[in-house]
Amino acid sequence: MTSAEAAPWYFKKAARIMDVGERIETLLATPLRSVTVQVSIELDNGEIRTFKGYRVQHDNARGPMKGGLRFHPTVNHDEVLALSSLMTWKTAVVNLPYGGAKGGIECDPAELSVKELERLTRKFVDQIHDMIGPTRDIPGPDVNTNPQVMAWIMDQYSRYHGHSPAVVTGKPIDLYGSRGREAATARGLQFIAREILRDVGQQVPGTRFAIQGFGNVGSHAARLFHEDGGKIVAVSDVHGGVTNPKGLDVPGLFEHVKKTGSVRGFGGGTACSSQDVLVTDCDVLVPSAMGSAIDKHLAAEVRARIVLEGANAPCTPEADEIFEQRGVLVVPDVLANAGGVTVSYFEWVQNMQHVTWDEERVNGELQRVMKEAYEKVGQISRSRKLPLRTSAYVLAIGRVGKATVLRGI
Amino acid sequence: MSIPAQLLKKLVQIPIFQGLTVPEAAEFFEVALEQTIESGHTLFREGDEGDALYVILKGEVSITKKGIELATLSTHAVVGEMSLVSPGDTRSATATAKNDVDVLKIPSRRVQKLIKGDHLAALKVVANLAQVMAQRLGAINDRLVGDGKKKGEARKEELADFAGILNRWSF
Repeated sequence: MTSAEAAPWYFKKAARIMDVGERIETLLATPLRSVTVQVSIELDNGEIRTFKGYRVQHDNARGPMKGGLRFHPTVNHDEVLALSSLMTWKTAVVNLPYGGAKGGIECDPAELSVKELERLTRKFVDQIHDMIGPTRDIPGPDVNTNPQVMAWIMDQYSRYHGHSPAVVTGKPIDLYGSRGREAATARGLQFIAREILRDVGQQVPGTRFAIQGFGNVGSHAARLFHEDGGKIVAVSDVHGGVTNPKGLDVPGLFEHVKKTGSVRGFGGGTACSSQDVLVTDCDVLVPSAMGSAIDKHLAAEVRARIVLEGANAPCTPEADEIFEQRGVLVVPDVLANAGGVTVSYFEWVQNMQHVTWDEERVNGELQRVMKEAYEKVGQISRSRKLPLRTSAYVLAIGRVGKATVLRGI
Repeated sequence: MSIPAQLLKKLVQIPIFQGLTVPEAAEFFEVALEQTIESGHTLFREGDEGDALYVILKGEVSITKKGIELATLSTHAVVGEMSLVSPGDTRSATATAKNDVDVLKIPSRRVQKLIKGDHLAALKVVANLAQVMAQRLGAINDRLVGDGKKKGEARKEELADFAGILNRWSF
């Protein structure tokens, strides 16, 4: 099963446990609208290149649809569709007034110049501007898209519809972006880690964390767990990893990454592979790199007691099952990494109200949202004797379902 | 005419005479006349003034409208009961004896007289008749709306079922 197929699979599993009828299941699973568009641009050398762009709007029962926009060579319709459904459930788990969407352009941004990327982004907006909007569908950053790309989207959309900062989130702070957005996903993980460790009778100080992936999520998570007194015993990125059972020197590690661009070769520990990080001896494993990083074979070897899904679908459903049998607590992506979309929501709220929040307020509101979602999911898990993931989907189906029933078909 | 107790016991089992005690039935059927209609003759024709209801005691009666047979009625069936509550209205179908038929004819004018005098048995009969007609009206409505209604109901139930599931799973 690919990582993209995971969300629809978990949805089905929870829907069957709830005894949702087949036709209602289809109603909830089928996307509202799905478009494929041609995105043709002139490259810097005068060559014409045509790319395929996708936007899938999955469900709008709970509000305007929200979801990232990714630029990647493997982007395809099925993947975007599955990820759009993941957004429907994720926004529902953290109780944001949003539905789910996702988009992408099948391209390799590493091969494109900045000017070409800008033309590509603007052309894509030309093709979908009439289906997105602050009260319809609000894109955000995702794989290989950054605040600059979001700024181009805002500008291009505003050319058609007038000044509209709320059409997209993840914008630069200097252009209607929100404070705290960059570290938001990691901060969400931090709040969840505090809660779940307390529930198992532990505390963050002294707890050993292993983090796979040192990008936006992994690096901020390492910093925040370290700030809370946690021990970072292993980290990795695409180039390799480093481990130290006594805890890595985190400020030193950041210095190293700043200089070399990678965690590889950091002197404060033993060099290891990215896979080694996953099976290293630790209390909390935070896979925050790619989907499907942990398959059933690795799941059997994972030594952590708790798995915090920083990435989307880092564990395959087969691995998830093995964790369940082994009694490893898995905090699912729809809950664990929902901090990102939550602060995106705060950015949208600030834009809609023409106000700016300070970072303290952003983080405070985020903590409230994450805590509330964690408590609800935990409540369902305890009372129904279900794993956290199934409980999160039950909560999401309940919320989306109620909105659907109240609105009517 | 006076009717043998054995027949009265059978008559009170007919839906529109249900609930009548045998003495009440005896009183009610005082106004009835026994008739024999020969095979092929009509009890009444479509368009005639409806002046009586008939209880078939023996034989078979064919109900036709514009030449098309709608039903065949036999012993202890009731024919022309609408005339009891709307005397003077025209018959909506033709009733023909398929063989020699014995009937009890109850003239509606006499029943109307009983009702005006608050005659308990007559009032019971009219109440029964109202019930029978309400059931028929419901059946006609169902048939009129046809399959569309069935589908509509199924969809409503499906959404309602789902709402029920969500209530059971709400936190």
